[in-house]
Amino acid sequence: MALPPIVLILVFVGLPIVTALLYSLGHTGGLNSVTATIAQHQHVATSWWGTLDAYREVLTNARLQRDLALTVTVTVVSTVAVMLVAFGIALYQRLSDSRLAKALAVLAIVPMFIPVVIGSWAILLFYSGTGFVRTALAQIGVEGPVWAYTQTAIIIGSVWTSLPFAVLMISSGVQAVPDAVIEASRDAGASLARTVWSVILPMATVPVIIAATFTAIGVLGSFTVPYFTGPNAPTMLGVDINNYFSSFNQPQQSVVMAFVVFALASVIGAAYVWANFRTAAKAVR
Amino acid sequence: MTTQAARATDGLRITGLVKRFGDRTVVDDLDLTVHPGELVSLLGPSGCGKTTTLRMVAGFLAADGGSIEIEGKDVVGLPPERRPSAMVFQNYALWPHMTVFKNVAYPLRLRRLPKHEVTDRVEHVLGLVNLLHHRDSRPATISGGEQQRAALARALVQEPQLLLLDEPLSNLDAKLRVKVREDIRELQQRLGITTVLVTHDQDEALSMSDRIAVMNGGRIEQVSAPDELYTDPRTEFVAGFVGQLNSLPGRLVGGRLVPEEGLLTGVRPEDVRLIPVDEPGASAAGHAPQDRLRGRVVRVVPRGAFHELVVEVEDRTLHSLAVGQSLPVGQEVYVDLARPLLFRDGRRLQER
Ligand SMILES: Nc1ncnc2c1ncn2[C@@H]1O[C@H](COP(=O)(O)OP(=O)(O)O)[C@@H](O)[C@H]1O
Ligand SMILES: [Mg+2]
Repeated sequence: MALPPIVLILVFVGLPIVTALLYSLGHTGGLNSVTATIAQHQHVATSWWGTLDAYREVLTNARLQRDLALTVTVTVVSTVAVMLVAFGIALYQRLSDSRLAKALAVLAIVPMFIPVVIGSWAILLFYSGTGFVRTALAQIGVEGPVWAYTQTAIIIGSVWTSLPFAVLMISSGVQAVPDAVIEASRDAGASLARTVWSVILPMATVPVIIAATFTAIGVLGSFTVPYFTGPNAPTMLGVDINNYFSSFNQPQQSVVMAFVVFALASVIGAAYVWANFRTAAKAVR
Repeated sequence: MTTQAARATDGLRITGLVKRFGDRTVVDDLDLTVHPGELVSLLGPSGCGKTTTLRMVAGFLAADGGSIEIEGKDVVGLPPERRPSAMVFQNYALWPHMTVFKNVAYPLRLRRLPKHEVTDRVEHVLGLVNLLHHRDSRPATISGGEQQRAALARALVQEPQLLLLDEPLSNLDAKLRVKVREDIRELQQRLGITTVLVTHDQDEALSMSDRIAVMNGGRIEQVSAPDELYTDPRTEFVAGFVGQLNSLPGRLVGGRLVPEEGLLTGVRPEDVRLIPVDEPGASAAGHAPQDRLRGRVVRVVPRGAFHELVVEVEDRTLHSLAVGQSLPVGQEVYVDLARPLLFRDGRRLQER
């Protein structure tokens, strides 16, 4: 019964990964031969398992090193920001039944219904030299910042696109914390802040970790937001992959970068697996 | 009696407490005093406002009026963490990510006590509730009864001036409930903690309380010792809620019911005596046959040590308790009603 899905995954996920890995190691024959005939600056295998020359080239390239650093920075900052904002909104919604709390939660979900391209352009216009922020601030005689085509814009865009899922995920976790355990904490003598720290957050750990890993992996591999809102250089690896593949005609270097991103994502993915394992372990009891 | 001295020694004094949800008044001008070391139950049907009252005392709900004093100090403006009360929640509300020990230690950690003192006090209380062997277990891995005791320990470790229990036994099975209520009562008396217990279960209230406050529709109808509540109910509601009651319209005059507007006679099942009409001397006892209530046994319900007999008298049914020998279904009987309770518009008229 499980066979058809397994075959499907092997063919459409496993096979491309294997051929791409082989190509990044310099195996230009077989399924990679078509790509290899037109590609430039290729490193070809020098031993039976291949060569790490392509990796060496990418990882020692000063520009790509800066891009890697930027990618990691944007990912970390955006994820932390998303977590703080999402947890804040979830908490506010949990502890207050005011209209503002509800409105905020709904508003945070809105980006989910707006295509990323459109959102990116909106952010660009909002923070551009002649954008809303500067125009509005100019009215009161303040020189506003130009964030369009900067790292800041990438972070704003990443937060914008990642927030809906994180809010949904964390809200459901925080919402599932019963009133009684919160009240029990207050009754025991804890302030609200202490209750959030010692009771609500630990009881919502799993959804928070899941939201954090999804956000981080999403930002790490993002293309649209940095492509539209970020600077030309340095930029994020997603944009580099696209440039190397289609503009520079260096698919091997693209693939290598993709594996670097993949390696980073795997580390984050491990956290996700661990969180799921915790959930499963709880369910077993 | 409300001298300043008497006030200061009162464990809990609630005066004129009011709570409204929208335009519904759920707690209506409620007064209650619980003396130090006393256990008072708030007993009433579901929805009468017991939990709401308790939550106002604990500080989870803001009162719309009235005052709440604990050991002479008004606590109305204080958040729950600043009130000297500790609550045991209906579903225990243990923190699932902490062990039993950590659950119980949490209130002490918040008070920044030295570590060894925390350990000593937690272990002492876990010993009291007989839970030392589960000190490192997670709440999800212990039984309902043990969770209940852990919740109790978490409240007791705070050495509260006032212990609040909201239906603490309702999630336990019947057998355990009887044992746990004895344990709680024993502990409460031994430690001398002023306690308010909320329950809808009259057995629980009768067996655990020094005094019982019967609540109905947001008001307290009567506050009395358990025995008195049963033998001397002041309203028809209390008589009907605590123990069983046969309600008959009108008043008893010489063994017969005489209808009278607004009057109601209540008789406890054990005060309904049935005499078979064919028993020798049955008609000779008491009044002349035409002056007596006459009925027929329609159902017999075995209740272990006694039988409950359902008797049809004219067009109504009465419940009677028979110890020892029961009567067969269909038996024609004379019905003697002893110790009637007379109510006018729901209020008791004469003293017994
Ligand atoms: N937060 C609330 N909002 C509106 N109505 C409530 C709220 N809490 C309780 N009530 C109502 O108040 C009444 C008393 O509730 P409660 O004190 O829980 O009763 P009890 O504990 O005696 O069963 C019930 O009718 C209940 O529906
Ligand atoms: Mg209740």
